[in-house]
Amino acid sequence: MSQMFATRQRKLWREYPLWNWVGLFPFFIFIVFFLVFPSLRLFTGAFTNQEGGLTLDNLKVFENPNVLKAYIMSLQVSAITAFVGGFFGFLVAYSITQGGAPRWMRNVISTFSGLAANFGGVPLAFSFIATIGQTGIITAMLKKACFNLENYGALAQFLASGGVNVSDITNVCPLNPYTYGFSLYSLSGLVLAYTYFQFPLMILTITPALEGLKKEWYEASTNLGATPAKYWRDVALPVLMPSILGASLLLFGNAFGAYATARALTGGSIPLVSIYIGQQIRGDVLGNPNEGYALAFGMVAIMTLTIVAYSLLQRRATRWMKS
Amino acid sequence: MDEIMSRKRTSFFTIFWGILALLYFFLPIYGTLDFSLRMERGILGFKAYKIIFADPRFWEGFRYSVTMAVITIIVSAAIFVPTIYWMYLKVPQARPIMEIITILPFVIPGIILVFGLIRTFSRPPLQLTTSTFKTDILMIAGYVIISMPYMFRAVDVGMRSIDVRTLTEAAQSLGSNWFHVLADVIIPNLRLAILGGSLICFATVMGELILADFLVRPALGPYMVRLGLTKAYEPAALAIISYSLTWFSLGLLQFFSSRSERQKQQVITT
Amino acid sequence: MTHLELTHIHKSFGASVAVEDFNLTVKQGEFVSFLGPSGCGKTTTLRMVAGFELPTSGNVTLNGKDLTYVPPNKRNVGMVFQSYALFPNMTVAQNVGYGLKIAGKSKNEIEERVREMLSLIQMDKFYSRYPYQLSGGQQQRVALARALAIQPELLLLDEPLSALDAKIRFELRQEIRRIQQKLGITTIYVTHDQEEALSLSDRIVVMSQGKIEQVGNPFEIYNFPQTRFVAKFVGSLNTVTATVVDPAKGIASFDGINLEIAQGLNGKNKGEEVTIAIRPERFNFLAEQRKENVFDCTIENITFLGSVVRVQMKIGNSIFNMDTFNRPSLKLPNIGGKEQVTCSNKAVLVLAG
Repeated sequence: MSQMFATRQRKLWREYPLWNWVGLFPFFIFIVFFLVFPSLRLFTGAFTNQEGGLTLDNLKVFENPNVLKAYIMSLQVSAITAFVGGFFGFLVAYSITQGGAPRWMRNVISTFSGLAANFGGVPLAFSFIATIGQTGIITAMLKKACFNLENYGALAQFLASGGVNVSDITNVCPLNPYTYGFSLYSLSGLVLAYTYFQFPLMILTITPALEGLKKEWYEASTNLGATPAKYWRDVALPVLMPSILGASLLLFGNAFGAYATARALTGGSIPLVSIYIGQQIRGDVLGNPNEGYALAFGMVAIMTLTIVAYSLLQRRATRWMKS
Repeated sequence: MDEIMSRKRTSFFTIFWGILALLYFFLPIYGTLDFSLRMERGILGFKAYKIIFADPRFWEGFRYSVTMAVITIIVSAAIFVPTIYWMYLKVPQARPIMEIITILPFVIPGIILVFGLIRTFSRPPLQLTTSTFKTDILMIAGYVIISMPYMFRAVDVGMRSIDVRTLTEAAQSLGSNWFHVLADVIIPNLRLAILGGSLICFATVMGELILADFLVRPALGPYMVRLGLTKAYEPAALAIISYSLTWFSLGLLQFFSSRSERQKQQVITT
Repeated sequence: MTHLELTHIHKSFGASVAVEDFNLTVKQGEFVSFLGPSGCGKTTTLRMVAGFELPTSGNVTLNGKDLTYVPPNKRNVGMVFQSYALFPNMTVAQNVGYGLKIAGKSKNEIEERVREMLSLIQMDKFYSRYPYQLSGGQQQRVALARALAIQPELLLLDEPLSALDAKIRFELRQEIRRIQQKLGITTIYVTHDQEEALSLSDRIVVMSQGKIEQVGNPFEIYNFPQTRFVAKFVGSLNTVTATVVDPAKGIASFDGINLEIAQGLNGKNKGEEVTIAIRPERFNFLAEQRKENVFDCTIENITFLGSVVRVQMKIGNSIFNMDTFNRPSLKLPNIGGKEQVTCSNKAVLVLAG
């Protein structure tokens, strides 16, 4: 009797495979409330007017010169830091994986990359202010490396003969970045600070690909007559390219969504999309909440594109690496 | 292949970029530390730290953030451990969708998520901003979402390293029910993974700015920003305190994981 | 007609010596295997021929040209790696044609040669596939075609079959031999698998701890191992320490049992200890009356190995293995039973060292 009951129950179980999903429902409910609803709110908000009717009018927000400026600025910062951080990070990652860096250096850099890639935020901004801000420690040091032209008569004469007004230059500090228009509180400063978490992220994402470069590929190409330069052109770079592009996209997205560092560093003086959205949350600077949603939607769209492209490239990279 | 020793020569190129990376890593930290000690003219001292530690708002923020972090960790573990366990056992085909969902917080920038959360929960039918308690519930939910990628990955990797299905079947064949399997077998084997996820969760919440700032709750993040607007030396000291917290948690993780690694080694060698 | 010559090759990595005084001449078209356990220096020697390692001292000469210090990309030596090492970003055709492209050959010439190579390895259909779309065995065939496409003067194979399944290994082994004989290319083959070495090679170089133990054709290596290492490493072997009884007649004894040795014990003194070896397949159950080398034994164990049955037996206090062919008519003794076995006095080997 009990045997029959057991088999009957098992049959029922198999009849409804969806039953298996029941255990995931608490998680899904949580996600629906705190991730899906908020996203939907932004999405529907972006395509409805204040009366609730469907419309594309909100996309006009992108004609607003301030918004456009913010988007251009954000894209610029993201692209520059992705490039600078990516390039620098790649060279460092190459040095520690293929370049035969000493073991201690390898360990310190890879450990610290894990830390620094998640650094970001307010403390990072404070660190850069304390280090290379107007009164920062490094700035002070660089400012000290000055010389007085009066003590270098020959140079002064030379400059004077070139038409330079020597009397204006009593104190020259060639290392002080602020004499060259650098400011931590401007785009250049933002790039410098973002690079702090960008290049470690590059190291983290590109290291597996670099480690996947087989020594035998180099030897096989050499054996077939290739020079190291040809090996890089024909094998190493093409093999690495999906990973490099993918990692750069990741860096791009990482910078594009960043808020806290920029906020703490520049106090909102640089118009980034994320800063602009912050202002919109606080006080509806656009005067139309639905346009605010459209603004946010644009940001999500760019991020989604970035991540989708990243994962496609990643798939290609791993497929190659398998063989 | 094992008979070939790799003897790569260290080139100038390698050393140059390595040193540059190390400088980039450590100069700002050194600069911050140095700066934070120079509040009093001409001497190195802890005045900036003393001021912060004497500031009741710092302690308020600290207490608040620690409380939030602990609750977030508990909620997060309570959601993810059973969910992932269930996924491994019953619906392995749910993995792709779980992976996509848990990666979403990387795709949706924090500021956007907060934007959506605030606009969704600041009006009926789902209003959660009427009292500080309800707002704190919203905060916790937000923190859980933000730290979700880390927590999911940590627990997922932990589950993968132990054979969940076999362990469960073994425990069941010995008479355990579901609850006991989870409490006596799975969770003890996942301690390190959960600890890892928790510490990253902790570090994330302690440094988080956006949620607390826009929901106007007294966390450490907004306190830091406010301090940064008016003070010069204290923010540097605060940054050092914040780094110490992060490193302490990650150092703790390193310690525990290397200890368990050692224990495993001992088992193998004896 | 010496083609490749290695003279007094010596290689050390820091304090550890990888290869010691390696001398070898290889004839045009010869197939030579380097056989030995991992770490014996066989791969290092091969890599010195390819140019990936520089010998600490000694010379590599190919066709009378000193290659010792010629960079690897100027040697015109084809190499096949254990891990295939196909370029993952290139198709099969691009892989095979890469060496020709580097050499600046014309498109048509490359195309023609690639087709020719692919038909040689019977993989015409895979022309535009990528390596990740191929099985391990197919990848290794392509790697072979790639190495041969540049028409090298010498083909080097570094454990090419180690990463493959047993069945594929067997097929590809015969493929390699077929292609090698068809092209008549001088080949050096590194392996730790004695069966591969014995079945493929014209000559085998057995190596241990950086030194050559013995050079000879497969027949010599198997039947007349000169050192204890070779005897142990190639095929299975019973060894026993015996005391010389009568050097002139070639008689030694172990556990009080006398052994007759056809090759004699010249140069040994009475009472001296020697290492004696007998291959398991050289033992037989006693069928007719014989006087020499008849042993009383106790059967310890019997194992079926397919075509062969291995009988473990105790002679005196020493354990020996005997292999006999598995025939339906075979009458197996009982375990624990007493039997008499014999072996020819020609089957008893005296090992040096």
